Amino acid sequence: MPPSLSVSALSKSYVVQGIRTQALSDVSLSVDPGALSLISGPSGCGKSTLLSLMSGLSRPDRGAVHALGIGLGTLDDAARDAFRLAHCGFVFQGFNLFPALDACEQVQLVLDYQGVPDGEARRRAREALELVGLGRRSHLRPAELSGGEKQRVAIARAIVKQPRLLFADEPTSALDSVNGAVVTTLLRDIAHRSGAIVVCVSHDPRLIARADRVIEMEDGRLLRDSRDPCSPRRLETSR
Amino acid sequence: MAVALARKSLLHDWRRFLPAIMSVGFSGVLIIVQGALLLGIVGSNALPVTQSRADLWIGFPGTQSADLGRSIDAGVSAELLVDPRIRRIEPLLMGAGDWRGSRGGGVSVTLIGIDARPDALGLARSVPPAVRALLEEPATILVDDGDLDKLATAIGEAAEINGHRVRVVGTMQGMRAMGGVNIVASLATARTLDRSLAAPDSVTYYLAGLWASDQARAVRARLSKPDTRSRFEIWTAADLAGRSVRYWLLESGAGIGFVFATAIALLVGTLITSQTLMAAVAASTPQYATLRAIGVAFPKLRLIVVEQAGWVGAIGLALGLTGSLLAAGLARLNGIPFALGPGIMALSGALVLAVALLAGVLALRRLRHADPAALLR
Repeated sequence: MPPSLSVSALSKSYVVQGIRTQALSDVSLSVDPGALSLISGPSGCGKSTLLSLMSGLSRPDRGAVHALGIGLGTLDDAARDAFRLAHCGFVFQGFNLFPALDACEQVQLVLDYQGVPDGEARRRAREALELVGLGRRSHLRPAELSGGEKQRVAIARAIVKQPRLLFADEPTSALDSVNGAVVTTLLRDIAHRSGAIVVCVSHDPRLIARADRVIEMEDGRLLRDSRDPCSPRRLETSR
Repeated sequence: MAVALARKSLLHDWRRFLPAIMSVGFSGVLIIVQGALLLGIVGSNALPVTQSRADLWIGFPGTQSADLGRSIDAGVSAELLVDPRIRRIEPLLMGAGDWRGSRGGGVSVTLIGIDARPDALGLARSVPPAVRALLEEPATILVDDGDLDKLATAIGEAAEINGHRVRVVGTMQGMRAMGGVNIVASLATARTLDRSLAAPDSVTYYLAGLWASDQARAVRARLSKPDTRSRFEIWTAADLAGRSVRYWLLESGAGIGFVFATAIALLVGTLITSQTLMAAVAASTPQYATLRAIGVAFPKLRLIVVEQAGWVGAIGLALGLTGSLLAAGLARLNGIPFALGPGIMALSGALVLAVALLAGVLALRRLRHADPAALLR
């Protein structure tokens, strides 16, 4: 059965210094497996909040999140931790790699926490690094890697456990055009090849152009949903 | 082996962890050195016991410390020798004197009168038979090597104790006292030098040697009867030595001083170590938050911090012990009483490890900032 991810009537607000901000209002959405889905929009439009709720990192005020047939809103913290450990991979804007570990160890660490035996974990970590084109640089620490390479290590770390849900938050915004393109292609290939659900939050036009589906947001609501990124309307709105 | 995140981070960021390691190490050195000095100094009150080879000590009932002995009836020895397990009995006298050196200067001294026979038990560890034999000559005394300067004297020189002329015929080792000076003479000489010891029917202690040392407790139990307890009390050598040390630790205020200084060392150690560990956690907050995002539970993250605290404690402790051994070497070279025993080392080891772990637990609060949702804002 292909993985599934849907949200219905999601609302979320934050209170910062006594002021309530409505981050999401009544958002409903279903995400396809095997495709790179991109949530796009201006700063503060609620796209990162939506990613946080879809991935079970936080709870909605109202509405429901169903991932792989499980209602994430009904799970307690420990159960959501276990769900993410089993099924979710994450790529963040700041690569968040441990300075003391080499690339292979950064990736292997995830499998260690899943209880994968050491030898197998190391082999799978190397394979994941091969997949992102860093097989020959697996012995290097973050300080010895370029920004693009660090993000590829972060992607290897996200995909090594073969997650059915992969979330990426602004994965290309700290990268130059060449590395941004490499990372974008990687994320789309992973979605196509593994059949996983890949949800990416970005306002990077390079990524928008390569996404299979672009969901645009504004003021905490869905504005537009384009399944064919090359349609004239799509290009018009992205300019 | 799984990726040793805690250890690798510690090695990679050793500069960051160095203050914590040093503070744990210094806490350890401080506790060990002052504890060993205190025990060494206080232990000098038990020197007559620890430097003798007696199995049992017989003295005035209720004596709190070996140096506070009062006279008992010399007739007690006959009662003691009834027990066939006792091999020999000999008196030991303790008195006081006022020392006047030939080059001037006055010092209060403790006078210890010992049996001068070569196989005697009294101060057998400090006074070897050859030196002991020198005391057979009347009006001769021995002083500790380290006290020659304090007494302004040398071997062969004359002095006065309580107005009686004496001659220094030799030196001994390991009898340096905390406050005053220990002067050792034969029983007969001691009785002439201190008038309070003059009566031949009284002694300060009887020292008993047994055929088998492991019988000490049994013999003591047999000889300690309700009707004898008003006249004399019997202790094993270890009991009397321990009692002397405890008495001075508690009575002199030095023990309280040690506890207070140790508490300060522990407090400062905990503060510095916890601040260092907190800074280390804060520096890794995005990485920890990423681990939280991929589903690693909080207790597993706590384990990383606690393991780092454990390593900081262990390395700091190793440094502390090394420093303390160096201090012990220096003390030995300078003849300073420094009782670096396994007890004080184990105590300080346990305390500094507790400091490190407590600091780790305090640093855990910073982990709460590792909120994965915060990475998405």
